[in-house]
Amino acid sequence: MTERVLVTGMGIVSGIGNSVEETLISLLNGKTGVGTVKYLNTNHADIPCSEVKLSDKEMFSILSIPETAPVTRTALMGIMAAREALSHAGISPSKSMRIGFISSTTVGGMEKSELYYPDFLENDSRNDFIRVHDCGACTEVIADYFGGFSYVSTISTACSSSANAIALGSNLIRHGILDIVVAGGTECLTKFHLNGFNTLMILDRALCRPFDASRSGLNLGEGAAYLVLESELSASSRNAKVLCRVSGYGNACDSYHQTASSPDGKGAALAMKQALEMSQLKPYEIDYINAHGTGTINNDESEGVAIMNVFGGNIPPVSSTKAFTGHTTSAAGSVEAVISILALKEDFLPPNLNFKNKIDKLTFEPVSELKRDIKINNVLSNSFGFGGNNTAIVFSKFNLTTN
Amino acid sequence: MAVYIQGISNISIQNTFGNAGIPQPVWYSEPYVRCIDPDFKSFLNPMETRRMSRLIKRAIITAKASISDSGIEMPDAIISGTGLGSIDDTEKFLTSMIQNDEKLLQPTFFIQSTHNTISSQIAITLKCHGHNNTFVQGGISFECALSEGLLLFADNKIRTALVGGYDEMTPSYFKLLNRIGFWKKEPFTSQELQNSKTCGSMAGEGSVSVVLSTSKDQKSYAEIKALELLYMPEDISKSVMDFLGRNDLKTRDIDIIITGINGDNVGDAIYKKILSDLFIDQAHAWFKHLSGEYFTSAGFGVWLTANIIRNKILPSFVSLNNIEPMDFKNVLLINHYRNKNYSLILFSAC
Repeated sequence: MTERVLVTGMGIVSGIGNSVEETLISLLNGKTGVGTVKYLNTNHADIPCSEVKLSDKEMFSILSIPETAPVTRTALMGIMAAREALSHAGISPSKSMRIGFISSTTVGGMEKSELYYPDFLENDSRNDFIRVHDCGACTEVIADYFGGFSYVSTISTACSSSANAIALGSNLIRHGILDIVVAGGTECLTKFHLNGFNTLMILDRALCRPFDASRSGLNLGEGAAYLVLESELSASSRNAKVLCRVSGYGNACDSYHQTASSPDGKGAALAMKQALEMSQLKPYEIDYINAHGTGTINNDESEGVAIMNVFGGNIPPVSSTKAFTGHTTSAAGSVEAVISILALKEDFLPPNLNFKNKIDKLTFEPVSELKRDIKINNVLSNSFGFGGNNTAIVFSKFNLTTN
Repeated sequence: MAVYIQGISNISIQNTFGNAGIPQPVWYSEPYVRCIDPDFKSFLNPMETRRMSRLIKRAIITAKASISDSGIEMPDAIISGTGLGSIDDTEKFLTSMIQNDEKLLQPTFFIQSTHNTISSQIAITLKCHGHNNTFVQGGISFECALSEGLLLFADNKIRTALVGGYDEMTPSYFKLLNRIGFWKKEPFTSQELQNSKTCGSMAGEGSVSVVLSTSKDQKSYAEIKALELLYMPEDISKSVMDFLGRNDLKTRDIDIIITGINGDNVGDAIYKKILSDLFIDQAHAWFKHLSGEYFTSAGFGVWLTANIIRNKILPSFVSLNNIEPMDFKNVLLINHYRNKNYSLILFSAC
């Protein structure tokens, strides 16, 4: 017998807001976070990105952390989002609880390493940042800000990382290993990432257009988001307000190419099917798909074909919200989990911004306008990473009497 | 659901690759050493792998060798741990980005810097569409991967899994970690690290792949009974007792305790306290004098434990207290990383 997994809190910072509430307002008003970079110091400032609209200095001040502390922007954003999630859930972690923190990141402390690397090699002036370079150390900086976590782990599967963090957190609760898990991811913009994606020639110089025939790449974003996952027993014992249930998830590998998805989206379809199977839902019971939808030529067509293969003639409303937030890489899974849960709670379909014309090969077009007052019971959120690391999660309305 | 180690392969700073059992040790007296690599050309198609980093090549070689050792055809899941991924390529991309002012960069180095490239290249090589994940939790990255595998087995989602730990130590990263006190500054010899009075360890690197299965046969190495990960435990001896209690064992039921003692006197004092608190009469062993210290060195520990249990021999060069084990039934592997991340793994004879 395994425990059911409830979501009892969430927190987010991204280009479209520094809280769940601001994120909702931006989604309802079609307000994108993508624009000219202000905080990242790069020669590629002509490439549009979605930055969190806070300087490091502002975050240090909000969080009462001394500015000299070895805390990277990725960690600052992570603390901001985890703090909101914990406060939303009404939880202060302590060693007397069985509470874990599972984060995810692709480049860890790279934001400072890329600035200080010459010092790292030549002198002792930046040694504190050597210590926080690796991905796990970044997670520990966030966990240690709060204290009280007795389990800490970090996942790195590129752009599906934080979806896998949510899946692992849910597994730990289902098996009764932990009662509460704060799970998600954080990634700030770095020159390393911007240049890396640039060498792959998949960055759009204009605003990204997911699922549009004219799409020509993604806009990078930065962000952090965490869910508070909790066992039913723990949530009911403290009368926690329940946002929704994590009802299923699937992880499969496309196993096709290191940076390209297969034409039939095999891994993506497998992940979606597994998520549906675990949630014991039929395809027609999914009311909304928050797609991975990066805006690259390859992803959107491959994902679209995979959706067609799984949902056949009954494709639910689909949208990618990456034209709002940019592609927040490791954090995308949890950023979009928060957006999916908002859609579920508030009964609306977030629009796929910048869409004009359908992709020839696909039978469906995304939701291009905001739709409100739509009954949504189950949302499927897709997250796909380089290397074919594909994960899909189903979030379902939670009702004590009917569930 | 019982889970057995059915296949294992190890490229390390010892002669572990391609040798059945535990080879005679190679002793070191320098803090920076590299793996004793097999001839890559004998195992990999040079055309297909010409762009792969050395670490990815090692990972694919041990992954295939462990699968062949196990007799299974295709794992149901591939789960990897790596502290740093292909740090060599990360450094190449970073250095050229800084030197060339964000111009003229190679996508290959960027792609391979992404930590999950190892796990996904293994999947692409094997054509495996199963569950695929990568853990990057510093010094317990390997154990995190193993732990997720055990959860999937418990869910009946998989019947086999390939779990690995992969890290390389580049000259630059060695230098960086040396700045923050990770390595021995004084002369030492690896076989005497356990008595060191100074901080720091000997660096290492390695690639260990393990095939787990719910079926066992005469070739099985050991059963993995339980695994626990702990973050900053308040009383580690109590945590060990609780862990054993949850598995219906008493401290006296453990035949051998294998620790991550690595020559760092501060970190080693923690293991020594656990041993003297709980396991005074049993056989104590260690492995990091053979593997060196690196983020996924626990993979070497699992390789060693599996071989000790299957062969029912505790080699004298891994014994810490010269006590012969009463039996080879229950073995506990304890690892910690800088007194923050802990792992406890309980093994049993099949």
